[in-house]
Amino acid sequence: MSKRVLIVDDAMFIRHTLKRIISEAGYQVAGEADNGQAGVEQYKNLKPDAVFLDITMPVMDGLQALQEIKTFDPNAVVIMCTALGQESMVMEALKAGAKDYIVKPFQPDRVINGLAKAIGS
Amino acid sequence: MRVEFVEPFVRAGISVMESVSVGRPERGQLSMRHLKFTTQQVTIVAGVTGDVRGQVLYGMSLVTAEKIATAMLQEPVMTFDELATSAIAELGNMITGNAIMYLAEKGFNCVITPPSVIRGMNVEISTPVPALVVPLITQFGKVEINIALAEVAKQDQASTVGGDGQRGLSAVQQS
Repeated sequence: MSKRVLIVDDAMFIRHTLKRIISEAGYQVAGEADNGQAGVEQYKNLKPDAVFLDITMPVMDGLQALQEIKTFDPNAVVIMCTALGQESMVMEALKAGAKDYIVKPFQPDRVINGLAKAIGS
Repeated sequence: MRVEFVEPFVRAGISVMESVSVGRPERGQLSMRHLKFTTQQVTIVAGVTGDVRGQVLYGMSLVTAEKIATAMLQEPVMTFDELATSAIAELGNMITGNAIMYLAEKGFNCVITPPSVIRGMNVEISTPVPALVVPLITQFGKVEINIALAEVAKQDQASTVGGDGQRGLSAVQQS
């Protein structure tokens, strides 16, 4: 059975692009959310194999959502996917348990390699 | 408003546009705009907060926005719908996000707010500081970056500086 991935990003364009990239690579899109809070709820309902999580989002940002997801499931595989690439932000996310950190704009290969490394293909 | 804030946005604008299949833009003439200005057909507004605060606005014609969205989506944009608007908003988000990464290298630590898109010409926008304007000329037309940012006065952020020696040093060097 193909691995299931949750996409959390406020930009419809990014959800659309990620969905296309990961489904073409044979993964299943378990669901999507457009803010951190909805993302945490979706994670609890869907228990996906991996999550792509943006940082700059309304309602609840991605760093807080990361903490809530890791509190609910310490083994959660979360890949940050954000336009914010400064070192302090990357370190904060990795310390909070993010598995990988992808800076936008991304190339499809970077997304697929990150996902394969995190959960296998 | 400081000229040194311009370079990170130009650098980010060029690299983001190349990466999202728009192609390498040429940099146009830098100019200054006063506190009020009127929008082009499509304007992306991104907020910046932290050591540097204000707005960055990206203005372009609807034709340019449609062509850029088509390149980003890798599918033709027939009408400038929600998905195309989201692609254009994301262009602004990525350029701003990449630019503040370069600002962090200069010692200014900032975060950005989710972008908004304004549709419609001649909407009057006031910014708290005058904007520095730099056009990037792409194969699809001009994207004008309006950078209305100011460094936060040191006394305002005294409580948040907390041991960040590099930041303090660079402020002294630049003043």
